[in-house]
Amino acid sequence: MVDTATVLHVDLDAFFVAMELLRRPELRGRPVIVGYPGPRGVVSTASYEARRFGVRSAMPMARARELCPGAVILPPDFSWYAPASRAFHAILRSYSPAVEPVSVDEAYIDVAGSERLFGTPAEIGAAIRERIRAEIGITASVGIAVNRLVAKVASDAAKPDGLLRVPPGEEAAFLAPRPVRDLPGVGRRTADVLAGLGIATIGELAAVPESVLEAKFGRHGADLRRRALGIAPGGVASALPGRRSISREHTFDRDERSAERLRAVLLSQAERVADDLARQQRAARTVVLKLRFPPFETITRSATPGRQLLFADELYDTAAGLFEAAWEEHGRRPVRLIGLGAAGLTERARQLALGETPAPGALHDAVLALRERYGDAVIRRAAELPGPPADAP
Amino acid sequence: MKVQVLQENLQRGLAIVGRAVATRATIPIISNVLLQTEEGKLRLAATDLDISIVAWVGAKVDEPGATTVPARLINDFVANLPAATVSLEAPASGRQLRIECARNDSTINAMDPADFPRIAEIRDGVAVKFDPKALKRAIERVEFAAATDDSRPVLTGVHLKSDGPRLTLAAADGFRLAVADIQLEESPAEAIEVIVPARALRELSRLIGDSNLPVEMRINPQRSQVLFEWDEVQMVAQLIQGTFPNYNQLIPAQFNTRMIVDVDEFKREARIAAIFARDGSGIIRLIMTPGEGGMPGQLTISARADEVGGNEGKLDALVEGDASRIAFNSRYLQDVLNVLGSGRVALEMTSPSAQGVFRPVDENGVPEPGYVHVVMPMFVQW
Repeated sequence: MVDTATVLHVDLDAFFVAMELLRRPELRGRPVIVGYPGPRGVVSTASYEARRFGVRSAMPMARARELCPGAVILPPDFSWYAPASRAFHAILRSYSPAVEPVSVDEAYIDVAGSERLFGTPAEIGAAIRERIRAEIGITASVGIAVNRLVAKVASDAAKPDGLLRVPPGEEAAFLAPRPVRDLPGVGRRTADVLAGLGIATIGELAAVPESVLEAKFGRHGADLRRRALGIAPGGVASALPGRRSISREHTFDRDERSAERLRAVLLSQAERVADDLARQQRAARTVVLKLRFPPFETITRSATPGRQLLFADELYDTAAGLFEAAWEEHGRRPVRLIGLGAAGLTERARQLALGETPAPGALHDAVLALRERYGDAVIRRAAELPGPPADAP
Repeated sequence: MKVQVLQENLQRGLAIVGRAVATRATIPIISNVLLQTEEGKLRLAATDLDISIVAWVGAKVDEPGATTVPARLINDFVANLPAATVSLEAPASGRQLRIECARNDSTINAMDPADFPRIAEIRDGVAVKFDPKALKRAIERVEFAAATDDSRPVLTGVHLKSDGPRLTLAAADGFRLAVADIQLEESPAEAIEVIVPARALRELSRLIGDSNLPVEMRINPQRSQVLFEWDEVQMVAQLIQGTFPNYNQLIPAQFNTRMIVDVDEFKREARIAAIFARDGSGIIRLIMTPGEGGMPGQLTISARADEVGGNEGKLDALVEGDASRIAFNSRYLQDVLNVLGSGRVALEMTSPSAQGVFRPVDENGVPEPGYVHVVMPMFVQW
């Protein structure tokens, strides 16, 4: 029988700390914290020794010092970690093209179809761990399951330096005894609400009637229960470099029928997507528009204008054209969800025109710099602002 | 009409005028070719209203007359006939054409030849005589730089200018500029400045082929049409009205870096890089390093695409001035290299965000007069 548990979550164990220990072996066995030591510094990574004192990632450094006064605190040195991170992702890509990087030290990989070449998912997981140990000199933990959600919980459970496979069909049983906070997507606020309902474990969450969860969490209630049962979309977004896409989606609380409002959302999405493109130094060749009409009819339309698209105006113009045509085609029905994506990502470059002296995108660069510093809302287009009340003069 | 003509002559004549037949005709008759007797010859004509071509074919005219039939049909048909005498016969109305050749007999429904658009004959106006080889070469080095979209109509044409024993052709699409000179044996009687559709010149160059017969150009006194005539062929094109940009200021006189390299080697490396560039953003990067201590200078040509990979090629080059780098659209770079033939090319530049100037040069690096090509670079992160 074909093994359907082909999704691996591979997570480097205390990556930054592990990298520091590679060049400072004398610190092995001691509590080590990587993070900026200043007054506003936070913990990036703590060694397992430091974690025993209660030190956690994202904790203020001052608090970490209180908990673990003997810890060695090292500032992060990204230029030392980056080559190892690249080597890590390269190892994963040698087993399957479907690798979805989550961060420098964490990725999903779907090995469906790789079995004939490399063996069962568990064998591949073991091989990946061995190669990371041999080629980089650090350890990784691997979770294997039918979907990303369960694979992620499994790798957390396997840590440090372990491998855990959840056989197909046993997802709910595997999750049941764990605290709700172990479930990705359950934050402190959700956990607090659940605690108020007397729910502590994922199994208890799964047993709650959907209607109760919906009353508490709205639309997300049903989703929460499905996740507690280990049911989640299966695949790994095939993230071949360059085949990535950047997108934004918005689901309306009430189905939207105003063209003006829909276009305003599209414009704001174009702004965000353009910012992401600029951050990644990429340009798009294709714009994808997504529309959902209630209840579940979803359509996508795309256009490839034959030139590089860099800026919000360019993305918006193309998307707005797609929107007009697609919306018309569907009888201008109310829209549940609207989304704008950039695909066909390429190197960002601009053909200069004869007689032009380049001051390329000076305005866009300035806006991006402001947003990097103060957040997306610091500067917005007038069209993104809520309109005046209907009775305004 | 009743004429006899050799199959191969008729086929060649139809192929020539066929270049002007409208492909998407708004009025049906311009998908046709006109066949008409004229002074003991068979006159073939086609037009798409922008460009018209007339060719005369040697024939034995038994009865003068005219007819007009769908160009594609008669082209395909005649091309498949055996090499023998073809007899063409049409009634006085011209509404049917009967074709006999060897043991093949056919009739084609024809239209009224009186409805076929009249093709202008330009007898007056300023005239220029060209050596066909020089004209063809200048057209080929310039026309590809003309714009293909209609947003600025003047840029879809080639600017022709002469006020002496020299005619200058120029084309620009907003990103690149090509300028070629043709030496004339005689100065035209008056100054010339017109814009000829690039497509007309492209067809002209194709039709001239390897003919050795001089080509005469005539521009009508209203400056609205141009005629090219050679051998037994005439082409008439509508001139583009408007003012061509003053391009001389776009050709920099100064440079900080000048590189000279073998054209064929450069072309080969650019072609290889283009394979990688086409899946990315179409960028080819050039890095020029002057030689040191008796070592030759170097040109590095590279391209990469996220999904595919990367490529880097190196060539020996003579690099004068500063080490420098510049990135070009792969097509623009290949286009200019392709028209330079073999030999050597100089690339002059001042900065990665200013014009790259390509000139063919001789063994000693002296620019060959009469051609310059300016390409704007791509603004990239290095």
